[in-house]
Amino acid sequence: MRLVNRLLGRRSDRAPYAIFGGIAADAYKTRSLRSRLMPVPIPEQLVLPLSQNLGVDAVAIVEAGDLVQKFQLLAEADEPGSVALHAPTSGLVSSISNATVADEFGSQRLCIHLQSDGEDRPIETVPEADYRALDHLQLLERIERAGICGLGGAGFPSAQKLSLGMKSGIDLLIINAVECEPFISADEALIRERGASVVVGAEILKSACLASNCIIVLQEDRADAIEALKKALENSSIELMTLAAGYPVGGEKQIIQAVTGMEVPSHAYPASIGVLVFNAGTAYAVYKAIADGEPCVSRITTLTGAPLQTPKNFETLIGTSVSFLFDLCGIDTTRHTGTIVGGSLMGIQLLTLDVPVMKTSNCLIAMSAAEFPPDEPELACIRCGFCAEACPARLLPQQLYAFSRAHDHEQNLAHGLFDCIECGACAYVCPSHIPLVQYYRSSKAEIRAQQRRQLQSQHWQRQFQQHQYRIKKQQDEAPHQISGDAVGPVKDDEPAKKNRSREDGDKTEAAVFSRERAKREIAEAVARVRARKAGHIASPRTDAESDG
Amino acid sequence: MQTQPSAIGISSPMQHSQRSTGRLMLLVIAACIPGVATATWYFGFGVLINIMLAASMAIILEACALKLRGRDMRQHLSDNSALVTAVLFGIAMPPGASWWLVAMGIFFAIVIAKHIYGGLGQNLFNPAMCGYVLLLLSFPVEMTSWHIPNDALVDGSSFSAFSLAGLRQSLLLSMPVFGSAQMSSPDSIDGLAMATPLIEFKMAGTGALLAAWDAGVSLFSRDSGAAWELVNMGYLCGGLFLIYKRIISWHIPCAIIATVTMMSMLFYAPDSSAVYGTPYLHLFGNATMIGAFFIATDPVSAATTVRGKIYYGIIIGLAIYGIRVWGSYLDSIAFAVLLGNFCAPALDYLCRPRIYGHGKKSRSVPTTEVEP
Amino acid sequence: MDQVNRLLPQTQCGRCGFEGCRPYARAIVEGESINRCPPGGTDTIIHLANLMNERRQALDPGAGNYQLPTVAVIREAECIGCTLCIQACPLDAILGAAKLMHTVFEQECSGCDLCVEPCPVDCIDMVPISRDSHLPWQAPGEIRSVYNPLNSMS
Repeated sequence: MRLVNRLLGRRSDRAPYAIFGGIAADAYKTRSLRSRLMPVPIPEQLVLPLSQNLGVDAVAIVEAGDLVQKFQLLAEADEPGSVALHAPTSGLVSSISNATVADEFGSQRLCIHLQSDGEDRPIETVPEADYRALDHLQLLERIERAGICGLGGAGFPSAQKLSLGMKSGIDLLIINAVECEPFISADEALIRERGASVVVGAEILKSACLASNCIIVLQEDRADAIEALKKALENSSIELMTLAAGYPVGGEKQIIQAVTGMEVPSHAYPASIGVLVFNAGTAYAVYKAIADGEPCVSRITTLTGAPLQTPKNFETLIGTSVSFLFDLCGIDTTRHTGTIVGGSLMGIQLLTLDVPVMKTSNCLIAMSAAEFPPDEPELACIRCGFCAEACPARLLPQQLYAFSRAHDHEQNLAHGLFDCIECGACAYVCPSHIPLVQYYRSSKAEIRAQQRRQLQSQHWQRQFQQHQYRIKKQQDEAPHQISGDAVGPVKDDEPAKKNRSREDGDKTEAAVFSRERAKREIAEAVARVRARKAGHIASPRTDAESDG
Repeated sequence: MQTQPSAIGISSPMQHSQRSTGRLMLLVIAACIPGVATATWYFGFGVLINIMLAASMAIILEACALKLRGRDMRQHLSDNSALVTAVLFGIAMPPGASWWLVAMGIFFAIVIAKHIYGGLGQNLFNPAMCGYVLLLLSFPVEMTSWHIPNDALVDGSSFSAFSLAGLRQSLLLSMPVFGSAQMSSPDSIDGLAMATPLIEFKMAGTGALLAAWDAGVSLFSRDSGAAWELVNMGYLCGGLFLIYKRIISWHIPCAIIATVTMMSMLFYAPDSSAVYGTPYLHLFGNATMIGAFFIATDPVSAATTVRGKIYYGIIIGLAIYGIRVWGSYLDSIAFAVLLGNFCAPALDYLCRPRIYGHGKKSRSVPTTEVEP
Repeated sequence: MDQVNRLLPQTQCGRCGFEGCRPYARAIVEGESINRCPPGGTDTIIHLANLMNERRQALDPGAGNYQLPTVAVIREAECIGCTLCIQACPLDAILGAAKLMHTVFEQECSGCDLCVEPCPVDCIDMVPISRDSHLPWQAPGEIRSVYNPLNSMS
């Protein structure tokens, strides 16, 4: 294919491979790119979810009432999957409590509520003059401490991704600035103005994962950004590649296919084939973390939508509420029909505006009836096959839909349900307006719940078998005891062997425990409790307990 | 501010391409117009009357069926699928057919072949073809008599088909209770008494178009014998329009046409019997074009994967040629399509594309693993 | 019989009338009716019907009713340390020893409620629990369907 392209005189920097399927959707990006990046004024209240990717919570190391400074560490990433959290501005931690976060269900998650004092005092940051002096392990450590996660939307902790990748050996690092989804222009705005920093960030990432090559990928219709990058890449080993416009070429699996022609094996990470993909915004955050010593406390967010008077790209602080940002842009509430975090095809429709921007919120769309006409009713599937033409994973959405309706999970799995990236291309083209992605999500949830229950059943079965074994063993040894029942063993989390050794120890004690004494003591205790109960009005004891 | 979590989330995508089933079906009907217009020109108003009858009965029947099934009528009628079935059925019916034939056929098509199976999207077989086949098997004589009013056969005067007299006669043919229409003479009828003028072409060595060209006869007059070819050209244009608009994909029509061409070239034997004719004969001398572009591509009953569609087309093409040449029916589109419908579910199951990320084999690898 | 056993939820609650899931599995193979497992929910009945080639049936009311998944919680203030519940628990999910406070391991407890009866001071509650980590997506148009996890107790 590359050869054919060269022979036909095509630009050699254009990606040589095509992805499967795909759709062409209107971009709606120009309006938010008319102006430059704008910093956002510091809001009064910042709400910082302990899990910036709505996965595993970080562990808060501050308490309510603490005064914090900008860039101060607020929560540590103890468990795999969590990301460190830093204060975006100085102020007072007013509380650590549940608040609504930006997901489809309006779930409540634990958040640090920060009252800003307006002074924005930072702690001392340690910029690194020459990142090349650091070795990759030091780079990894700094990236982890800076709380960097994938800013393209998924929010996977970057340090973990890098170290996982290094284990398999990385041949190619791809910096994904494709941004194929409609409405989002954050990466383009970033590259247009700060392309040099993005390139340095890319080089840092390349050193951090010991990749042999690095390519930055853009869509070919982004002239400004391509210009800026070409200038920035003049003295760099990093290559630039442009892709034809389309959705979803920017998806991780699709961009790997477009750039390398290889496919990521099902249920495996790209690192297994020697490729890592990072978003351009993440590269910029890495640059800030290493070169300026500033942890990740802000990101570029596109504010767009017809009801907004001034749509643009803002450099928002993490924790700013969506309603604050909309007010900043001037929103026409009469036309405002809903809000989306993310793009129009894979974003999350919010139930309320009082949710905070997180590290993964790349775009906020104010919906209006003009751009987002109300949903048409779902009709029957006419098996037209448009969805299969559009699917970038080459699945058969019409079959998956039929199996999801029938709750036929075996067939769903056999047809590759978990290879679905939920890009929404199938539902976009469906002439019967079937909400296909929702069907697949519910089927996936059912299958996951089923698998969890199966594991649980197996666990319980093992427990029961151990229980039976223990009983049998006691019965075998019963003649050797003085009298009475054996008492149950002290249960702990250790495997069965340790249980049994403890059990032996208990038996000697139990040996002197006679049945009559037991009965007597029980009767006394019961009487005590009854008296206690009679003497009280029904008092809830549960809140006074602490679970062991 | 805290709000209660809701169990009902709104799923992405929030944008839509604004294509709708209703509009697609209307475009399919629009694509039929060239063919229908040509047929009306040559065969009189009977064609249009059949279509109108079928369409009105179809809508009424569909509304009744939806009501009985407890579905929202306006929503489901707006998908225009009953209209498409009716139009294709009306085109397939012979122009002089009585109204009760049309009624019976459309009843079977809409109520039994479509709604009893579960409505739009659930029918295994092409409803229009089911209705047609029912009538063909039950009323073979009526279905193979191509009654055309006298006026339509008048040589030279190109506009007689659109005269009021022609209209009146077509209506009378359709509803014989109101009187009897003047039928064409027995000699002329024989020539046109078959479901398609295949017999005529059996005598002709070359295509009638070329013959007419040589003879200097106007193509638009009834005598040119080019009627069927032009009708087929009309449907071909309509079909290409549908492919251009990406409403149907090219796989099924191409597979059918290619298979019929290959088979007719393979078995070409003009000396033995004219039915072993040229590919041109087989493609344009009867209903192959409408079958390939409009009937076999009915999405609900056709195969749905790309490779499946190609095999589906091949099966139908083989059946078209086989039944036509070696079977006892003159035109075999309906049976061929039904045969293809039989095979479609199996083709859907067997001809799956290789999923992204699965082994570099042609079949996707089933897996029961689950993402964490 | 192992295939049948794999379809059962392994709560070992005994509501089916047998002492645990494996004996019930054995009984099913020998012809026992398949609709006696409330914790399994309609899912289990359907899977058993498919496996044993029998008709699907509604849950036998004699075996109990469908309920939300629950775990046992001991009100520790009232616990007298008699260990009767420990002996009753088929999964050894209760931690404790003679005259010491007992508590239930939430992860291990299957909600079989065999411990509630033996407790002389009646200090055990069965509390509904949701083991899924977050709200799952619902299929469009379905609020609660036969296949919803609600109907399967574990």
